Amino acid sequence: MTNEDRQIQADRMRFTKNTLSSNLAILAILFDVFYFVSIYRSDVGSYYYNILIGASIVYNLLFMLAVFLSSEGVKNYKEGYSWLLAVVGILQIVRIFIIPARAHGAVAVIGGVETEVMGDGQYIRLIVFLLVSAACLLASAAINYNKCRILKEHMKTLEGKIV
Amino acid sequence: MAQLSLQHIDKIYDNNVQAVFDCNLDVKDGELIVLVGPSGCGKSTTLRMVAGLEDISAGRLFLDGKDITQTPAKDRDMAMVFQSYALYGHMTIYENMAFSLTMRKENPNVIHKKVLAAAEILGLTSQLNKKPAQLSGGQRQRVAMGRSIVRNPKVFLFDEPLSNLDAKLRGATRREILLLHKKLQATMLYVTHDQTEALTLADRIVCMSMGHVQQIGTPLELYDAPDNVFVASFIGLPPMNFFDVKVSGAKLIGGNFQVSLTPEEKDILQAYQNKEIILGVRPEDIREGAGGVPITVFSNENLGMNTLVHGYIGGLKTAEAKISAKLKGWQNYKNGDSASLIFNKKHFFDKDTTNAIRKEA
Repeated sequence: MTNEDRQIQADRMRFTKNTLSSNLAILAILFDVFYFVSIYRSDVGSYYYNILIGASIVYNLLFMLAVFLSSEGVKNYKEGYSWLLAVVGILQIVRIFIIPARAHGAVAVIGGVETEVMGDGQYIRLIVFLLVSAACLLASAAINYNKCRILKEHMKTLEGKIV
Repeated sequence: MAQLSLQHIDKIYDNNVQAVFDCNLDVKDGELIVLVGPSGCGKSTTLRMVAGLEDISAGRLFLDGKDITQTPAKDRDMAMVFQSYALYGHMTIYENMAFSLTMRKENPNVIHKKVLAAAEILGLTSQLNKKPAQLSGGQRQRVAMGRSIVRNPKVFLFDEPLSNLDAKLRGATRREILLLHKKLQATMLYVTHDQTEALTLADRIVCMSMGHVQQIGTPLELYDAPDNVFVASFIGLPPMNFFDVKVSGAKLIGGNFQVSLTPEEKDILQAYQNKEIILGVRPEDIREGAGGVPITVFSNENLGMNTLVHGYIGGLKTAEAKISAKLKGWQNYKNGDSASLIFNKKHFFDKDTTNAIRKEA
């Protein structure tokens, strides 16, 4: 890519939206939905577990709201939303160790019968969903951060030209 | 290079209604042709046939010598600007202008260059991030033109692009179109029912009525030497006055007035001695003067530089005796006042065919 191409690419950002970052954020929400739809299959009849699931539902709602707002923010090259997306992306990885890792291999007695809380298949699916969601969020944040930097530099150059 | 040739084009709809009859037109490279006529005269149908939006029932259409009669609209390399702008409301101006090229999967950097260049020409650079709803009608129409420019088509087609604009904006946008034509030197076909637009924009005008081409010529030719009564009445504002008169020696005798003929005029009407003809006089070709046609004024409209005076010849209150004159300066005629009018320039038409009577070459 020539220097001129790079300049045009930067100039294009003045008029086009950052749809790549925005779409990645939406994709992250989609995989999060897959995650919580899969995890709520588990029912171990435990009060503690139910509270955890309840908290997870609330977190999911907040997660979707935050990521959706961020997707709109990054669409317009708002650098601050990159940090929010990065934090939420890291939290998606942390979530693997909150419910799935604990539930995997655990045994609960339901109706006098020992029942496996989470099988291998479900566990792997949940990890994949969370990892893909996290990857999308981190990529979205990184791409937006980079584009914001390029656009800022380009705008400085333009302002210099105008002066 | 883009030369367009319409040869014996007909349009017959499925219900056997014929909208266009034997339309022949050769558009030279870089020429701005205006199709003008009243509603339903077939001008928009002709334009849509050129664009490929309507099938051609008979005849041939050539672009740069290549027969494109059966070529689909998308392959004709023509861009059309509509009266309703046809912009995407959810897209920015930049995205609207880039849309056709994006659909063609052109390189985004190339698209960017073309859009910026078109925006620069049209003075839209500062509006590129806005949505169409944030722009005025004139600006929206410029965006529609910009969308055509970025495609760099062989022929631009305009279908009454200024009809949605108010009078002031229409004048400004008209001048912009004229400048655009000068800048691009592109072949343009422009449809309008507004004769002012036709006269100010066109290199040549095609005047149509009831599906027939009435006259093709420069604006001056149509104004100064109309081929028939229809063209004479359609071109010019206020319209031409018409009177049934009889040629008698060196005089024209009307219902209650007489007009003298110059030797040249007498010569032109040689074959019409003692026959009835139609006399046409433009309101702006009339002046006040003693010994002229006597009228009784019934309306006086001051326009600033001129005054439009309406009256009845000889005081006879009939439709045939009505006359309008555009007199110089600020006049103060009152209802019922008398005036004497001299006809500076006269147009003569055959009463049977309504065609112009001219000196045979």
